[in-house]
Amino acid sequence: MRDVLSPFLAWKNLFREPVSIADPLNREAAPRYRGFHKNDVSRCIGCGTCETICQNGAIDMVPVDGFAPKDGDSGLRPRIDYGRCCWCALCVDVCTTGSLTMSNAYTWVDADPDAFRFIPGVDAKSWDDTEDGYRRAEGHHLTLRDRVPMPELEPEVRVGGFDEIVAGYDVARAWLEADRCVSCGLCIAACPTHMSIPQYIAAVRDGDYERGVRLLYETNPFSNTCGRVCTHVCETACALRNEGDPIAIRWLKRHIMDQVPQDRVRAIIGAPAPATGRKIAVVGAGPAGLTAAFDLAKAGHDVTVFDAGEKPGGMLRYGIPEYRLPYDMLDRDIDAITSLGVEIRSDCRVGRDVAMADLHAGHDAVVLAIGLHVGRSLRMPGSEHPQVRKAVDLLRSIGEGKSFDVPRTAVVIGGGNVAMDIARSLARLQKQTHGEVRVTVTTRKEPGHIVADPEEVRECGEEGVVIAYARGPQRLVIDEDGRLAGLLTWRIVPKVDDKGRAATICDDADAVVHPADMVVEATGQAADVDLLGEALTEELEWNRDRLAVDADGRTSLPWLWAVGDCINGPDVVHAVADGHRTAAAIECAFAETAIERTRPDARR
Amino acid sequence: MPEGRGHIRLKSLTNLRDVLSVATEFERTARDFYRDLVPKVTKNIRYLVEELAAEEQQHLDLFSGLAQRADVEAVLQTEIERPVDDQKFFDFVHLPDLGERPDDQAVLQYALAREHAAMVQYAALAEATPPGPLRDTFRFLANEETKHKNELEAIYDRIVHSGGV
Repeated sequence: MRDVLSPFLAWKNLFREPVSIADPLNREAAPRYRGFHKNDVSRCIGCGTCETICQNGAIDMVPVDGFAPKDGDSGLRPRIDYGRCCWCALCVDVCTTGSLTMSNAYTWVDADPDAFRFIPGVDAKSWDDTEDGYRRAEGHHLTLRDRVPMPELEPEVRVGGFDEIVAGYDVARAWLEADRCVSCGLCIAACPTHMSIPQYIAAVRDGDYERGVRLLYETNPFSNTCGRVCTHVCETACALRNEGDPIAIRWLKRHIMDQVPQDRVRAIIGAPAPATGRKIAVVGAGPAGLTAAFDLAKAGHDVTVFDAGEKPGGMLRYGIPEYRLPYDMLDRDIDAITSLGVEIRSDCRVGRDVAMADLHAGHDAVVLAIGLHVGRSLRMPGSEHPQVRKAVDLLRSIGEGKSFDVPRTAVVIGGGNVAMDIARSLARLQKQTHGEVRVTVTTRKEPGHIVADPEEVRECGEEGVVIAYARGPQRLVIDEDGRLAGLLTWRIVPKVDDKGRAATICDDADAVVHPADMVVEATGQAADVDLLGEALTEELEWNRDRLAVDADGRTSLPWLWAVGDCINGPDVVHAVADGHRTAAAIECAFAETAIERTRPDARR
Repeated sequence: MPEGRGHIRLKSLTNLRDVLSVATEFERTARDFYRDLVPKVTKNIRYLVEELAAEEQQHLDLFSGLAQRADVEAVLQTEIERPVDDQKFFDFVHLPDLGERPDDQAVLQYALAREHAAMVQYAALAEATPPGPLRDTFRFLANEETKHKNELEAIYDRIVHSGGV
């Protein structure tokens, strides 16, 4: 009988108060005890490395109100599940910013089991302000913080010629550098063309270079080029930059291309799709135009590129000196594009040799990728002197192998990368011709605010080029025999105007003449839109001084598209991204037209 | 503002409303100049000339509106207490010959030259005028032209020095 009744006797416990003691020990933990997590969410960049390393799947990266994604920050924050966590602290040890730590709190009583999944730093907890606990020891990192050094020519060697400065990683160095990557993927969002960066870095680690090439060509047909001259915004977003050097993403891209012979690259790219019968004209053989040509040819369209230069490449060939981008490397990128059947008609200027109207008549779409090839002049008194040159014209002459009288003393006006390019090119020519470097760059900016890349500025100085900061050009100095003698500048006083913009105020009491027998203007560039002709210029819509285009690069005329530097400013990887976007939009436009044509009521 | 003739004309005036009236006429002349220039420039830079004409119209409206206010002296006094620095950037931007088909740089250089000349003229007149409402008027006009010149310098910098993109 007792055995029959005892299950029912257990029911009396249902109405009894719980006897669990919430904190039975009330004992403080050791100072470095690995307790509950804390996260400084303002330092956290949502890289997810903690999630990746967790052996128990206890961490999920989740969106949090108030944290929007931006370059270098995914906007996600780690949520910890204490039903899974074993408090091993690998997440703390691997944290790329040091934001994730542990308190030494170890007791937490809650009747709600879901409470034990929480977002440290977002969900307020009693231990958030504790000083004790576990944090990564100073100097203790699970990945190497310093970038593997890149072999480069020494300044005294490189200034003697135009040999490529950067040697490239060998396989061992590349593997070490690739092994630093934590594969967080923050770089993908930052890259204008969204290359699969962690994946191709993994390919380097695995020694599978053909897989790497395949990955590169999904998003960038200029990987030899970008692997040398890209502005690498990806590296600015790299998680490792927070406590060390970012991964050398640009050099690893170059390394992959260096390992694979050109015939294998062509084979990996493969053959184009079956011919569609559509014809596209591209005006300009720079990175934007050729990227669009690559995508459209791969899709089976008949693409012809018209370019005014003797050889294709645009500013890549005629603007970037060979010590940064060897012509044979650029030629490899272009060869891969022409291997798809893209026809490039060089030395063919649209507007002179062929009219825009003819391109329109003979093609289903026309893409303008005309770049920014016209150098601006300050038009100072004396600017018409034959020894006053524009940087883009001089760089083009050097790129075409045309000789000119190398000046013994030169002044370059400007503080951008083009100014650095021409200054360093002239330095090399001076070294070869006269045995010494006498080049001065004058810029309106103060040190630290110059527009050129910091490494360009540093290398410029190493090669003997002098940079005169905060100088405003006033006029050319010409002697009584009509020879150019120099450039007069005034000191620039930095100021912010009433709208918060940097203003240029000149102090005419501080005047300096910089001696020169050649002055080079590297102060700005413009697009040459004369090829459009007056009628087309009037017909098109303009956004101030640029062609008005939609988000896909289409102008106000449905058959005409415009991409690259002439729309969005000078940058190689952005030009590549533009080319992809516009090619995709043209494909969509063709598909819509095809659908229109197949509609029963469509006019033919 | 025509040099010489404008200066002499302004210098002979003793009433600030008369000065504002002459200044308004100068702005009207400038506005009409830019409006006449609109069909002579290519479409890709036409926006610039239209904006310059609109700026001159704003100045014209400002000066003519001020001349009609009963409290014009008090308004001018407030304005000249906030003098605008001349950035002198224009001193190394030189006056071009506009020609038949000026480009954007030539148009801006010409506009800067006009504003610079006006600024200098009004400042010189202020300097030569005894303290009082008339002097305040010239200082106000010099201030306005300096503001306009500074705006144009920022536009010039953006278009000519950074490729306009």
